[in-house]
Amino acid sequence: MISRHMDNELSPDEKKDLDSHIRSCASCKVELENGRAIHQMFASARRFPAPYGFATRVLANLEKKEGLRPRRLISIRPFFLRAAQVALALVVMTIGILSGNLILEERTNPVGQTAVQETFSLELFQAMPPDSIGGIYNTLMRPGHER
Amino acid sequence: MTRRFQNSDLLEFEELVRRYQDRIYNLCRYMIREPQDAQDAAQDAFLKAFKGLGDFRPESSLYTWLYRIAVNTCLDHRKKSHRETSRSEPLTEDLPSDEPFPEQLYESGEIAESIQMALQKLPEKLRAAIVLKEIEGLSYEEIAEVLHTSAGTVKSRISRARERFRHLLKKNLG
Repeated sequence: MISRHMDNELSPDEKKDLDSHIRSCASCKVELENGRAIHQMFASARRFPAPYGFATRVLANLEKKEGLRPRRLISIRPFFLRAAQVALALVVMTIGILSGNLILEERTNPVGQTAVQETFSLELFQAMPPDSIGGIYNTLMRPGHER
Repeated sequence: MTRRFQNSDLLEFEELVRRYQDRIYNLCRYMIREPQDAQDAAQDAFLKAFKGLGDFRPESSLYTWLYRIAVNTCLDHRKKSHRETSRSEPLTEDLPSDEPFPEQLYESGEIAESIQMALQKLPEKLRAAIVLKEIEGLSYEEIAEVLHTSAGTVKSRISRARERFRHLLKKNLG
């Protein structure tokens, strides 16, 4: 009855009677506590998930032992999934390329072009700005400059 | 879904394997203990399930049907296997039931290992009943369906299994 009590399998009346009995019976109280401890122990025990690739091995064994060819049939759904993934990737890439072209078009207008050139032109790059030590040295060494 | 299983649809079978593989493998780990043996038994159980799809009765639930195949496969596997070192040993003498439960198990960090070791020493019928109850969380009625017996027998087996299990744990702890 204690075992059923732990599993919540007693009727309300049975439960009431047992609870009443346990209050006055030390032996049954210990038995219930022990039972609960075991229950708790099982509850906290590790659960083992199937090893990686288990399902694949089952299907491969099916093919080997039964002469069936599950791979061909079973790969249909993954094939569609993969095809959908590839299609989605292509759509994303196409959108990306088109968006890139639109941005480029915006930047190739006269105003944009100048901005791009100013940003990336090497001609504007100054290795030794006038206010740097190198720039001052260049200015001093320039022909015609008074020493 | 069931009707399609009866047509031996491999796509549906793959879905069945993927859906229940963790539960069936876990059951086998507690029934058999050794990982490789448990994996072999779980695989055999699914292969038997595939072969027996035609025998599946729609009035019973799919997972109790699968559990039944897995439990029987585990029991067969243990009989065939010589790798098992520990054997079921009937307890000749019951310890007093009011002895306290060993608290140190909760601190050991090896709960699953301790459970597996003690389970291997339980008689097969008791082991199957307590694993289905405590590890898989099935009701008495579901266990009765899996083990092809009555709910009353299941209650009795679980109660005896718990008692013996407790004694085995104490014995293992010295």
